[in-house]
Amino acid sequence: PRLHTLLAKNNRLGGPGSLPKGLGQAPLGRSLRVLNLSGNRFAEVPPALLGLRGLQSLSLGGNRLHGIPPDIQELRSLEFLYLGGNFITSIPPELANLPSLNYLVLCDNKIQSIPPQLAQLHSLRSLSLHNNLLTYLPREIINLVHLEELSLRGNPLVVRFVRDLTYNPPSLQELAGRTIKTRNVPYAPSDLPENLVRYLSLASNCPNPKCGGVYFDSCVRQIKFVDFCGKYRLPLMHYLCSPECSSPCSSASQSSTSQSESDSEDEASVAARRMQKVLLG
Amino acid sequence: FRYTRNLVDNGNGKFNLMILCWGEGHGSSIHDHTDSHCFMKILQGNLKETLFEWPEKKGNGEMAKKSERVLRENQCAYINDSIGLHRVENISHTESAVSLHLYSPPFDSCNTFDQRTGHKHKVKMTFYSQFGERTLC
Repeated sequence: PRLHTLLAKNNRLGGPGSLPKGLGQAPLGRSLRVLNLSGNRFAEVPPALLGLRGLQSLSLGGNRLHGIPPDIQELRSLEFLYLGGNFITSIPPELANLPSLNYLVLCDNKIQSIPPQLAQLHSLRSLSLHNNLLTYLPREIINLVHLEELSLRGNPLVVRFVRDLTYNPPSLQELAGRTIKTRNVPYAPSDLPENLVRYLSLASNCPNPKCGGVYFDSCVRQIKFVDFCGKYRLPLMHYLCSPECSSPCSSASQSSTSQSESDSEDEASVAARRMQKVLLG
Repeated sequence: FRYTRNLVDNGNGKFNLMILCWGEGHGSSIHDHTDSHCFMKILQGNLKETLFEWPEKKGNGEMAKKSERVLRENQCAYINDSIGLHRVENISHTESAVSLHLYSPPFDSCNTFDQRTGHKHKVKMTFYSQFGERTLC
């Protein structure tokens, strides 16, 4: 009745009835904090455990999961979720409804995309995505302000960005928005549809101090990649307001990553500009 | 959240002896060893070591894998810069791993390499703990 930690890894659990149906009921439902079912044969997250409201740590690493049930959001107290080494192909947006999630491991799966809603996991500090099938990351991922660690190796990711997004001019909406902002064209909320008013309010100033431009879909963020030893910061992306901003903008991040900027200089200038235009499509 | 480096002995400045603790799925970057000798012994669990060739001067393509092997408990490995570069990973999703590392002479920075491009980046290495005391940085 006061069971706190249950470790049942490396067994042959996975068939129907592997876990007792009443697992989620009181008192176990409220006392269990840590559950480790890694190295078993579960083909789906056993529904019985979704009632464990007090569960803080769940590991289902090294099983045979093909997906994550949306009802995972029922595990309201979850802080640590390890799902590495399965066959998961996609992530339900409901995963983002876990308010206390700090540590999310999804490495060694078959994930093709990350839902943008994942950016709502404000408490997320570590995200492991290495060895998946990701070709891009959602732009919103930069909203994870508390993210300290992110592993992305072994995804067909970075090179794809650079090649496909070389020539991606701003949309007409963006160009119009930039003109309105830089020329101070007056407008009132009653003049425009609500969505455009909101869009215009999202304008940001180009970090390049020599450039007075604004942009709408951009950011300069630095997130640590755990693939590197020690403390190491690598810009996740650069986003510029115009091609003319390429070199000065790189100096904006030079304060924290001097070495990576010298790498950019070593590259052919065209490739350097491409890297700086990495978009999260 | 990631593997920890725990200094055990600094051998009067002649070497660094440390214990690395790898959680499930934890791995290192591809790195060099700053002209030092590096010995590694597995104390618990298993670690996969992937060897890479040094990239061309102006690295501009996927780095070439030389070989890979899984080191078992009590196995030892050695590497230095003339042998090549490596990535060390705990590929288990159920077991953690512990390894003992000896570096001589000691070094506190190395280069990490992007597998996709061969570009290198110098990084300072930090300790999670030293002589049993947590190192805050």
